[in-house]
Amino acid sequence: MADTTQQAIQLAGAMVGGGIALGGGAVGAAIGDGLAGNATIAGVARQPEAQGRLFTIMFLTVGLVEAMYFINLAFTALFIFSLAKK
Amino acid sequence: MVNPVALLGADITVGEHVARKVGPFTFNLDTIWPTLLAAALVALMAWVLHRKSTSGVPGKFQLVWEMGVEVVTRQVEGTMGERGLMVVPLAMSLFVFIFLCNFFEIVGLGSRYEWLAVPNADINLPLAMAVLVIVLVHWNSVRVRGARGYLHHYVAQPFPPVLLPFNIFINVVEEIAKPVTLALRLFGNLFSGALMLALIAALGAWTIAHFHVGYLATLIASIIWKLFDVFLIGPIQAFIFALLTVLYFDTAMQVEPSH
Repeated sequence: MADTTQQAIQLAGAMVGGGIALGGGAVGAAIGDGLAGNATIAGVARQPEAQGRLFTIMFLTVGLVEAMYFINLAFTALFIFSLAKK
Repeated sequence: MVNPVALLGADITVGEHVARKVGPFTFNLDTIWPTLLAAALVALMAWVLHRKSTSGVPGKFQLVWEMGVEVVTRQVEGTMGERGLMVVPLAMSLFVFIFLCNFFEIVGLGSRYEWLAVPNADINLPLAMAVLVIVLVHWNSVRVRGARGYLHHYVAQPFPPVLLPFNIFINVVEEIAKPVTLALRLFGNLFSGALMLALIAALGAWTIAHFHVGYLATLIASIIWKLFDVFLIGPIQAFIFALLTVLYFDTAMQVEPSH
């Protein structure tokens, strides 16, 4: 009985922790992507011939920003699939 | 009947490898052999290029390669100038190697043990590359600035020398964070990619009234995910790794004006 309760608490904790990590990471990545896109649009509107160069930098920034989110995703997977089963 | 356990991926494991223990060391065989394969492919490409390269009309392969080298060289020259040209071979080979490694995901099935796993989905390879890069960065920093200039960099930034302990603390933390973030960024992306494939594969257990809609769902979802991950995330992460290598070399080799 105690064992089941322990397992349930662990599963719930892992799920909630993973959910919070994913949610927080998604908020951050979305804000970062939005800022990068905003700045790129502003730059292209001001100087349309710089579009090619700006797009390279934008994709680079988006890659850097989303890397944080993917690290979060990896840790969420660790919480849910690995720790919850112990 | 949807099996919620299967959809939750209760049989998905993370960080599990085909490992052999030799003494105190554990060898992850499913990481080692794709790494060796990628290294052999890079070496083979270099050899073929070496044999076939001409100063006359270049073939397609040579053309693509020269374009890549030119892009990296321009990037390096833009940030570091002439003295950065020694970084070009390192950055270029890191880019090609990581790009090839990431490309292996295209044959991934999302099973527990892939027969051609993405080696960067194991923390050991990115961490090894990051440590290699950082050791070279510090070595070159000492070489360019001299031992005194190298140590001076730790104490004189970013606050005035009165706040010496803070300066040392901030700089040491920064130097430790560099290889860790460099490795974790690459690892996190590729690991998540492999994990998503496993989740998509678990979708295959989904049936509605004896129709195996899961198979179709897995097919469509994995095509979409692989298009995104293999052709966008993989090259971008390889490029970011190479670019950050160049940037770290740049900050480490700046010769400050003498006070």
